Amino acid sequence: METAVEQTMTSRPDKPEPTKWKRAKKVFKGHPMAIAGLIGVTLFILTAIFAPLIAPQNPYDLAKLDILDGLLPPGSRLYDGTYSVMGTDALGRDILSGVMYGLRISLFVAFTAVLVGSSIGVLLGLLAALRGGWVETIIMRAVDLKISFPGILLALMLLAIFGTGVDKVIYALIIGAWASKARLVRAVALSEMKKEYIDAARLAGLSDFRIMTRFLLPNSISPVLVVLPMSISGAIGAEATLSFLGVGVPITEPSLGLLIANGNDYLLSGKWWISIFPGLVLVAMVLCINVVSDRLRDHSNPYLRAKD
Amino acid sequence: MMEQLISVNDLTIAYPMADGEIFRALKRISIDIHRGQVVGVVGESGAGKSTIGKAALGLLDENAVIETGDVSLGGNSISGLSESEFTPIRGKRIGYIYQNPMTALNPVLTIGEQLLETIETHTDKKGKSARAYAIELLEHAEVTEAEDRLSKYPHQLSGGLCQRMVFAIAICARPDLIIADEPTTALDVTVQKAVLDTLKKLAKQDNIAIILITHDMGVVAEICDYVYVLRYGGMVEHGPTKQILTQPKKDYSRELMAAIPRIDKKLARFAVPGGMSKTGNRQRALDFLLDREERSAIAKGEPLLSVRNLSKTFVTPANVVSAAKEFKAVDNISFDVISGETMGIVGESGSGKSTVGRMILGLHTPDEGYQLTYRGKDLPVAKSRAERLELSRSLQCIFQDPYSSLNPRMTAGENITHAIKAHGIIGRAAAHELAGNLMELVGLQRGNVRKMPHALSGGERQRIGIARALSFRPDFLFCDEPTSALDVTVQAELLNLMKDLQEALGLTMLFVSHDLAVVRQMCDRVMVMKSGQVVEIGDCDKVLVNPDNPYTQGLLKVMPRFSFDEAR
Amino acid sequence: MLSFVLRRLGQSSVLVLIMSILVFVGMYVVSDPVAVLASDDFTEEDRIALASELGVDRPLMVQYFSFLSNVVRGDFGTSFVYNEPVLPLIVERLPATLEVAFLAIAIGLCIGVPLGIYSGLNRKKKTTKTISFLTTVGYSIPNFWQALLLILVFAVWLKVLPASGRGDTTTLFGIELSFFNLDGLRHMLLPAINLAIYKICMQTRLARSGTQEVMFQDYMTFARAKGIPRPRLIRRHLMRNILIPIVTITGLELGGLIAFSTVTETVFSWPGIGKLLLDSIHNADRPVVVAYLILIVMMFVVINFVVDVLYALLDPRIRYT
Repeated sequence: METAVEQTMTSRPDKPEPTKWKRAKKVFKGHPMAIAGLIGVTLFILTAIFAPLIAPQNPYDLAKLDILDGLLPPGSRLYDGTYSVMGTDALGRDILSGVMYGLRISLFVAFTAVLVGSSIGVLLGLLAALRGGWVETIIMRAVDLKISFPGILLALMLLAIFGTGVDKVIYALIIGAWASKARLVRAVALSEMKKEYIDAARLAGLSDFRIMTRFLLPNSISPVLVVLPMSISGAIGAEATLSFLGVGVPITEPSLGLLIANGNDYLLSGKWWISIFPGLVLVAMVLCINVVSDRLRDHSNPYLRAKD
Repeated sequence: MMEQLISVNDLTIAYPMADGEIFRALKRISIDIHRGQVVGVVGESGAGKSTIGKAALGLLDENAVIETGDVSLGGNSISGLSESEFTPIRGKRIGYIYQNPMTALNPVLTIGEQLLETIETHTDKKGKSARAYAIELLEHAEVTEAEDRLSKYPHQLSGGLCQRMVFAIAICARPDLIIADEPTTALDVTVQKAVLDTLKKLAKQDNIAIILITHDMGVVAEICDYVYVLRYGGMVEHGPTKQILTQPKKDYSRELMAAIPRIDKKLARFAVPGGMSKTGNRQRALDFLLDREERSAIAKGEPLLSVRNLSKTFVTPANVVSAAKEFKAVDNISFDVISGETMGIVGESGSGKSTVGRMILGLHTPDEGYQLTYRGKDLPVAKSRAERLELSRSLQCIFQDPYSSLNPRMTAGENITHAIKAHGIIGRAAAHELAGNLMELVGLQRGNVRKMPHALSGGERQRIGIARALSFRPDFLFCDEPTSALDVTVQAELLNLMKDLQEALGLTMLFVSHDLAVVRQMCDRVMVMKSGQVVEIGDCDKVLVNPDNPYTQGLLKVMPRFSFDEAR
Repeated sequence: MLSFVLRRLGQSSVLVLIMSILVFVGMYVVSDPVAVLASDDFTEEDRIALASELGVDRPLMVQYFSFLSNVVRGDFGTSFVYNEPVLPLIVERLPATLEVAFLAIAIGLCIGVPLGIYSGLNRKKKTTKTISFLTTVGYSIPNFWQALLLILVFAVWLKVLPASGRGDTTTLFGIELSFFNLDGLRHMLLPAINLAIYKICMQTRLARSGTQEVMFQDYMTFARAKGIPRPRLIRRHLMRNILIPIVTITGLELGGLIAFSTVTETVFSWPGIGKLLLDSIHNADRPVVVAYLILIVMMFVVINFVVDVLYALLDPRIRYT
């Protein structure tokens, strides 16, 4: 069947090579949920970028806060006459503004950590595959060591050792992100290395660096790109968890997780909005990313794609 | 007694494709089969031949649509049946022999379990009597230690044994019809013969009808009574085997027959279209290729390459599962390749024939104690960039698998000229021009330069691979089964092209193949290998016609063949 | 088999040794336990006395080797906070953690595997799409927020299940267990569900992708071509094949489950080792943290080994020599 399809593909009259944009559109076509997720992700990222311009209040500006506005439920009118859509916390901070600024921190931490961590992982994975020998042994033993230890525990330990702060959280998440990518890329690269185009490149006398950048990297990177969104949403969740447990970002730069933790104490006394709204936004954002990521993964799965 | 058993009437099967177009795997196909008859369904890849077998068994993919016609068994239409209605027909009335026996058996269940469940489902033999019947079946299929084999898992048996198990499963319920989908493709030629004999016996002795789906005309000639020739899902022609083989009416069938490499005599060319292009910028490409700086010239007839005491031991390193294992792939072989000739290496899989070439190219490091002399000088273990470049300019390779031998992330043109550009031999614009010229030389449209490899067919890709090898202006080409992944007509075109190129450029070639007939057509001399050792070496006219060695004689004997002189 | 066990034992001891060094060195830099434990009215002499009592005034190497020799003898030191030997402190809390973890795994397997097989077999159905969306949602809600929602709904609004604590326990073979006691079971339910949601989603996906992959294999097509009835096809041919990755990953993920129980136990005030760890981190109770981590690493080593053996038993293609 496979070859049958291929045969007609090639025997068809020449079609122009589809552009990247066209191919991306094909991935999402006919999958409304994935499109909704994509739109959601875009909106969250835009909100995070432009938070200072669109937030009703600057939650860090203590002069603007009024203790009389404390613990108001959603929709209440504040002392300065504006309305608070999501209510206020104990200090009289507008929850909506807090959430918008919190998004900034959460997204910044997750994106930075995953991108840096994955790049390191990809580089190490390619090196291990290409060089073999002791380079591979050292890299892969380090990967085993890291992977034999659950990520959240490792981050907890690192933060316990080095103290808390946005930078420390990012380091902890980078250390959490590299190993699985290194293992993935190495596995793919090793199977690519068995293919004859790598032999051809070696036979052509090309340097290791050129083989790595022009031959191995472009052919091994796709699986990493596919899991990248999942890693980012995982990092958002991990950062929120760490902040919730009190070892993440400091109170001066509250992420969504910290906002949830702040509201936690009021949850049992019925003041649900302080904790629930940041939580909803967190879940919505992670969900949007995961829906997109699911679609990408299904699309890259040959068992599903062959039959689409 | 000729009883109409199964008939395919006017069948069209369509698959909706992702881009909204409809792909028709079969177009209005009609086939009739009687009891005791072996019917061949022949075609190259994409002919839709496997789809016929799947349609008869109700095993079509979920999204397949039957647009016209149906399949009927014993007069009743079966193509509209549901999965549960089909189950009692499968195995019981129609047996199926799968293409690849190694993947057809469930790896985590024992052979016995897989055979017994089929017997218990379709016959009234249960428990002990089913077991006794299973052993009887296997002994009938000439399986030794049948009792013992039942408790084995598929990976513990060889491909040939697995295929016998699949046979036993297919015939255990005494079906009326057996569909054999490329039953010999995955097997070495020695095992192939036994499989075909069994099929023939089933048809003649047990009066079972057999549909044999294959791309191999030799197999058809061997056992089929009647042949259907398919192409692109449509029927080309059909008739008794002898008529189709000797007096094909349609151009395609004629081409198909002409493309089959023959073992009995060497032809100058295959009688198929294609080959090196005669037009366009061919001359400019040739000028480039012939503009080689004069290296210490070797007279025609002198050895260009001498190989002495070459061995290679592969070591599987110890891991958590097993201890270290040593495997001698090539065992102390010596031979010469004469300048301007084509030297063949033949052998079954695992005989070490490719490893020899890879060592000459420097892709594997041979065991100590070898000597490789090229142009009278020791072939160095390339260390510096310059040395590697010098080597790669002279020794090039055409690889086996066109689907993995091109970098999928580079355009066709980039694939051809990336390396010589990287070495600074040629500039950017000149490289683009050269890529186009070379593509025309190997018989491709210039416009394909910008295409990605996945948009090209296997044959087209292999031509790109040839162009890439040529871009270095080599003297010596190592061809590692360059056509084994291709259809027979494409193979013939490519072999023609390689002959043309050799003639025009004076190349020396080392040509590896498992197919004796291909070697016969391509090579001047041949070396027969078995388990890493040289069995016989000499002129093709001698070794492949009247061999001294019993192993070579055996290989020649089991080769499926039909008389070509009738075909003219 | 024996050489395999010995080789694994060797690799594992190296792993544990490296981890012990990393953990020990890491914890040494953390914070000064003297500063944490000393009251405000401590004089400099008091501090020095306390430091020498705790042994933290010695060189790092000396501290590590005395620590290591103690560990080999089963002595992980004394908790700064509880002033008790660390090992019994952890061991007495272990049953509470494991109890919830195993309940969560059981829930995950019982719900996840059937759902996954169903979705894998019926790719085009609406129910499959719903299941697949729900697993994505389940994956997307962070563990701790799930816990908060569970408390809000079942404890605060519906008031049917308790929000915290362990409740009554029954003593079995000298181990306190909540499982065989109605009040204990009620207390266990929310933490177990909290841990199980992720497990359910994971098992569903695993079983689904396994099913899809296996169904496309040649041997499944061939089994259908043999005329094997569908129930048997699923029971024998499919299940035997997807069981292998499910068992492997469930085993390996046990570690992740115990790690995540730190979050769950903290939110539900469940007196297990996870909560102990977090409290100890906040209190800079170094011996407890170090002992916890070393014990966890050892536990992973054992789990990985058991999984490897199970894998060999399930998959005939693998035989350890």
